[in-house]
Amino acid sequence: MSFDPATIAAFVDGELDDLTARRIEREAESDAALAAEIARHRTLRTQLMAHFAPVVEEPVPDRLRALLVDDRVDTSLADRREAKRTRFAPIHWGAIAASLALGLTVGLQPWMPAADVTSANGTLVASGTLAKALDTQLASNQPANATVRIGLSFRDRDGSYCRSFQAKDLAGIGCRNGDRWTLERTMGAETHGDYRQASSGALAADAAAMMAGDPLDAAAERAARDKSWK
Amino acid sequence: MRFEEELVELLPRLRRFARGLTRDPNDADDLCQAAIERALKSREQWQQGTRLDSWMYRITRNLWIDDRRAAGRRGVHAPIDDAVTQIAGDGAAEVEAGTLRGDVDGAMARLPDEQREVVMLVLVEGYAYREAADILEVPIGTVTSRLARGRETLMHLLGEAA
Repeated sequence: MSFDPATIAAFVDGELDDLTARRIEREAESDAALAAEIARHRTLRTQLMAHFAPVVEEPVPDRLRALLVDDRVDTSLADRREAKRTRFAPIHWGAIAASLALGLTVGLQPWMPAADVTSANGTLVASGTLAKALDTQLASNQPANATVRIGLSFRDRDGSYCRSFQAKDLAGIGCRNGDRWTLERTMGAETHGDYRQASSGALAADAAAMMAGDPLDAAAERAARDKSWK
Repeated sequence: MRFEEELVELLPRLRRFARGLTRDPNDADDLCQAAIERALKSREQWQQGTRLDSWMYRITRNLWIDDRRAAGRRGVHAPIDDAVTQIAGDGAAEVEAGTLRGDVDGAMARLPDEQREVVMLVLVEGYAYREAADILEVPIGTVTSRLARGRETLMHLLGEAA
């Protein structure tokens, strides 16, 4: 293994330049020790994120909200209508997923339930729109305006199917685990202020590091989907 | 967006950060409350156009450190650095790998404060090293070295035997 621990950590934290990241990813394909070290770091990140994710879903206690929101003001009917409309407007799943996974709060409102990423037994799992896209959407045939865009589909070293995806606020890789998609890798997908951008290059590098063999072509992707990714 | 509205949006994340620091839900909300009060009082110090979240995290973290130090002087907790670091640093290596498998709270509790705050900012809150260094007002090299130590301890305690 020719990379020092700090570089491997920086790779997993998305802190390396694309060139070095690609070198690590290439070397990980043939260096089992390096691949294992990367996996060890990723597992810790996922474990910590999943452990703390539920706190963001909790309703914010009134005593905190009350410091910032004056609920006593009797707003006009129009304001109340607007508030009601906002409350029941479609939830932007990406923002919530990202806030769960990465700690962004774009569009997050305390009363909104978590939509498309949940945590199960300490791991992040796709649900809702994201799960549906991973289940059914083909990279070779997806609508231009799809909420979730599927990138690569491939088998990992355990033989499980994995698929990279990109949505407005979240990108990542989901791997089939029973009848769920475990999110092995997540990152913010689009800039919001200065939030870190996930380049598709970084995601492709991650996919390449996880992949056994080649990515699925269009026919293989369709066949795998038709067999429910088993 | 109004200052207060931005803060309201930040609250779920801020509570998570505070939970990680204090390791107790009530203490965490007390810390958030103190941070909000401080922010409202010193709102003119926040510069429009700069990141409110970083500013808020810095206030929260500084209040927590103040509280830890005050508690240390009162003898409520062990002083921040000495006792805790000994248990966490050297002691952790002697503990069998994987002893705390699945017990994230237990493992986080073994970390010295200055490692726990970096772990929370980078690995849980998703800040870049540079952003974490700005929040903590330390050089970036300090962030990476504390993160490396914290991470090794956590992987050792939570992970498989090496």
